[in-house]
Amino acid sequence: MNSTVWKEKLSAIRDSFSVSVAKTPAENPEAIELHYLGRKGELALLLRDLKDIPIEERKELGALGNTAKEEMTAKLAELKGASGSAGTVLRSSIDLTLPGWPFPKGSLHPLTHTMNRLAEGFLKLGFTMADGPRVEDDYHNFEALNFPPFHPARDMQDTFYVGAIDEVGKGMLLRTHTSPVQIRSMEKQDPPLRVFHTGRVFRSEAVDASHSFAFHQIEGLYVDKGVSMADLKWTVDAFMKDLFGSGVKTRFNPSYFPFVEPGAEVDMSCVFCKSGERCPVCKGTGWLEVMGAGLVHSNVLKACKYDPEKWSGFAFGAGIERFAMLLYGISDMRMLYENDLRILKQVQ
Amino acid sequence: MKIIYSWLSDFIENPPAPAELAAKLGRIGLKVEELKKTGAAFSGVCVAQILKIDKHPNADKLALVDVNDGKVTMRVVCGAKNIAVGQKIPFAKVGAMLSGGELKKAKIRGVDSEGMLCSAAELGLEGYDSSGILLLPDTTAIGVDAVTLFPKADYTLEVEMLPNQSHCLSHYALAREFCVFYGYKLKEAAIFEGKSSGEVVPVHINVPDLCPRYGAIVIKGVRGAKTPAWMADRLRAMGSNPKGNLLIDGSNYVMYELGQPTHCFDIAKLAGPKIIVRRAMPGEMLKPLDGQAIKLDAGMLVIADASKPVALAGVMGGFYTAVSEETDAILIESARFHPPTVRLASKTTGIKSESSYRFERGTDPELPKKAARRLAKLILEAAPGAEIEQISDTCPVKYERPVVEIDPARVNAILGTGIADGEIYACLKAFQPDLKDSKPWKFTVPSYRQDIETVWDAAEEIARYVGYDVIPSVSRMPMLPSAVTAQWAVGLEMKTTLAGLGFSEVYNYDFVSVKEMKACAFYADMALEVKNPLSSDYQFMRQSLLTGLLKTLRYNLNRGRETVQIFESGTVYAKADAGKTEQVHCAGLMAGAFPEGGFWQGGQGATDFYHLKGMMSRIFSGKGGFRFEKPKSAPGYFQPGLCLEMKLGGNSAGYVGKLSPVVAAAFDFKDNNIFYFEIPLDSMAAAWKPDFWQKITKIKAVSAFPQNWRDLSIVLEEKHEWAELERSFSGVQDLASARLIDVYKGKNIPAGSRSLTIRFTFSSMAGTLNDADVSARMTAVLEKLTKNFNAKLRS
Repeated sequence: MNSTVWKEKLSAIRDSFSVSVAKTPAENPEAIELHYLGRKGELALLLRDLKDIPIEERKELGALGNTAKEEMTAKLAELKGASGSAGTVLRSSIDLTLPGWPFPKGSLHPLTHTMNRLAEGFLKLGFTMADGPRVEDDYHNFEALNFPPFHPARDMQDTFYVGAIDEVGKGMLLRTHTSPVQIRSMEKQDPPLRVFHTGRVFRSEAVDASHSFAFHQIEGLYVDKGVSMADLKWTVDAFMKDLFGSGVKTRFNPSYFPFVEPGAEVDMSCVFCKSGERCPVCKGTGWLEVMGAGLVHSNVLKACKYDPEKWSGFAFGAGIERFAMLLYGISDMRMLYENDLRILKQVQ
Repeated sequence: MKIIYSWLSDFIENPPAPAELAAKLGRIGLKVEELKKTGAAFSGVCVAQILKIDKHPNADKLALVDVNDGKVTMRVVCGAKNIAVGQKIPFAKVGAMLSGGELKKAKIRGVDSEGMLCSAAELGLEGYDSSGILLLPDTTAIGVDAVTLFPKADYTLEVEMLPNQSHCLSHYALAREFCVFYGYKLKEAAIFEGKSSGEVVPVHINVPDLCPRYGAIVIKGVRGAKTPAWMADRLRAMGSNPKGNLLIDGSNYVMYELGQPTHCFDIAKLAGPKIIVRRAMPGEMLKPLDGQAIKLDAGMLVIADASKPVALAGVMGGFYTAVSEETDAILIESARFHPPTVRLASKTTGIKSESSYRFERGTDPELPKKAARRLAKLILEAAPGAEIEQISDTCPVKYERPVVEIDPARVNAILGTGIADGEIYACLKAFQPDLKDSKPWKFTVPSYRQDIETVWDAAEEIARYVGYDVIPSVSRMPMLPSAVTAQWAVGLEMKTTLAGLGFSEVYNYDFVSVKEMKACAFYADMALEVKNPLSSDYQFMRQSLLTGLLKTLRYNLNRGRETVQIFESGTVYAKADAGKTEQVHCAGLMAGAFPEGGFWQGGQGATDFYHLKGMMSRIFSGKGGFRFEKPKSAPGYFQPGLCLEMKLGGNSAGYVGKLSPVVAAAFDFKDNNIFYFEIPLDSMAAAWKPDFWQKITKIKAVSAFPQNWRDLSIVLEEKHEWAELERSFSGVQDLASARLIDVYKGKNIPAGSRSLTIRFTFSSMAGTLNDADVSARMTAVLEKLTKNFNAKLRS
């Protein structure tokens, strides 16, 4: 081989290299590198051919070859840089749209989410969590809460009785509301106190779209000097605004629960109304009934050895299911206890 | 409670329209659940007869009908299918007012229609079939204004009555409440005003504490007193079935009107005749007005004559002394009974009546006289020849209206308001017109408001009076720190971790059947029984969360799900001596393919024990003293030998294992590839620290020098478990970890042995370990393995 042929070959290699790197979409730079600059690459083979060229010409040609090599190396480095990181591909040779590894996705139950969020609301307002048993005695579930024996108010809460006897020999029951925890908290602690409790309660009722024989409640209790209905109103309003934003309004209507006096039912302004149609959630009234509230009844305070002339308090509470149904747009309570994974997996 | 608007209006001067009335009642805590229009409100409709029916020339489904209203014959276009010649129908002339508005003259498919044959819906009538034209009885006179054939237009209100609203359980009482709170004038019902000093039937009250008052009126000559039509209409509207006998219907009417239950005895059937109010004697029997004879006990209060009980006081009258068509002389009972006694009698006998409902809630002590006189008035109107022979009011315990001292400052302190004294006074005066204005006010509670006993009760009335909206929303609540319970905190952490690991949370009921309990290997004698279950499916309190989770598994498998990974957190119960125990558990299961849905690169398979064990390790990671142990005795629902106990320090933290094939079969699963865990939350709550900083583990320094690792493959007998090997590595110098990377059995491995490949990683805080250092440590490892387990290097 003479120097002219060698130069032509070098030129041809440079041309085809230029074509390769300019291709759109670009070729794999590793492949180009291997083809031209690799140990058995075109340029390497050509440089090896220099041994056949006379020594005096070899120096010049060698310099030409090295320059070409440097240029090509630089060009390839540029290409690699453009594709992100060293060693990666310019154009994917795999189908990136194939699914990724199926990490299992679990979910918390809508009632858990709702309960957590409501509990958070109480915690923000300085209520400490309290607890009490599910299997209760008549005293804590009824009598201390101003439901005397044979009082018709007991009809409001159909009760399950169980095969266990309390300290005074009375049959025990499944608590019908979370309010016994009010009594247990006041028995344990002197005022002032600010506690809340959430959990499961039981009523002997047939199951339908809006009733269940097991469901959940949350309620708060605050006893201090000079606590009034105004304090209650503010607290309930703050609680609801924390949940539904500062735009939400609350209103009180007179109502009755044996353990409070005065008693109230709390409505919140409907946040689900859309203009131009009759809202199916509030049925066009603009209000949703969401809570019960009131000042702790003097008989309840007395039962807990709190002097009602010195201390006063308020209590308010809600059904978790009611909130969960509103929040998740569920119209049938039974859905919450069916445990259909097609439904539960939708919960984020 | 049902309230009829027109009846209520008898007692309110210039009452507001029904909708406004309903809204106003709602604002004082008397929620109107339904406001329904009843009766006929149309006009311009008369009774007409169909004379002829022709086909409509331009429409197959329409007919041309000739009708006559007694004067003229008119032609109308009609589309109904139920018409025939000769029928009498309501005919609306042009200009008639119907439920849809005024009827206009119309041309239908080219033919003029001079009116309309009406369906019940078009007339605005409820409770009739509206699929066709409303057909009238043949006897109806042609030409009569059709509106006269139906009850008058009215409204019924369904008012929710809370247990403290016993003072509103009648039309008069509700009207009174409305008038007090909204300043309307209350009208009274007409009563018999006459006098009588006779005593035909003496009344003895043996138990004054159970019957503080017994009013009686004796009337002679009532035979054949018929219920007037207006009264029957009202009773029917109340959903009560009028009998036509005024002595029965009138008593019901007065109860719905005034709220006082009354009862009429046939004097001819009363032994004595005499009335004795006493406790029942054990073994005495009474056959009530309807139903089987009941056995009485000493807890019950009865009305008796000289020889026998004739009524279960406040609950129901007796059959043998009841009035009939033949009755000539009656005794009207209008009394007051001890509410808990009535309630107990009603509960014991299972007889619930409108009467017991009212007595249980407490009746107005001053009402009996008035109610008896009202009933007497109604009877005398229908039986003009009748005579009053006795008006008695036996009242062994005199009722005193309680006085509550009311200081306006106290009221404002309770409500958190600044209501002017004048307004508070005005409210109290609405209840008690003669209240003297000297503070603190001596408020004499009206007899009908037995629920007002304290200043708090009065404050509620004042709040109702001024409206709850007057209460401001302000608070002086001081800041207080808040905290959660340990159980809540650990429960939430566990639930969140499980959800992150792919478990979906489920909620099951706490009740199980005896069959389910046994299927899960639990015993009924340990279980807490529900005394009054809704059904045998819910007879026992669960002792474990297993039943619910298995039912949930089955539910979802039946709906085509291939992988189920679920958990639940809830209470489990057990019997303990006479009492009970309850604990919060968290349990879950895995079954089917893992990961769910598989992966296109492969690498998936069926869920196995090690998947769930790994999840448990993950849940408990970082919890001090956590380890798996072989249980001394595992719960019976696990497959024997396929269960591990989890331990936290010295406490059991539950079990993880494979479901027993027996349990799986009992729940109709095709195999027992179901992996289950149950953890008592107490075990974790005990170790929980309330202060966040105490929960934080201190970070250990790591070596600045490179680490070095070596793999070792050994063959040893299978009886040596991995946990034993792992324990033996403790004390090897600089050993950072010993990780099992392969288990192999089969070719080249003797039967009964297995090959384990373990990766040992060494790291020193002091410097880089060179090959010689590592080799020396590996020699120590191998020596231990050889000595303790007779392990051989795999060649």
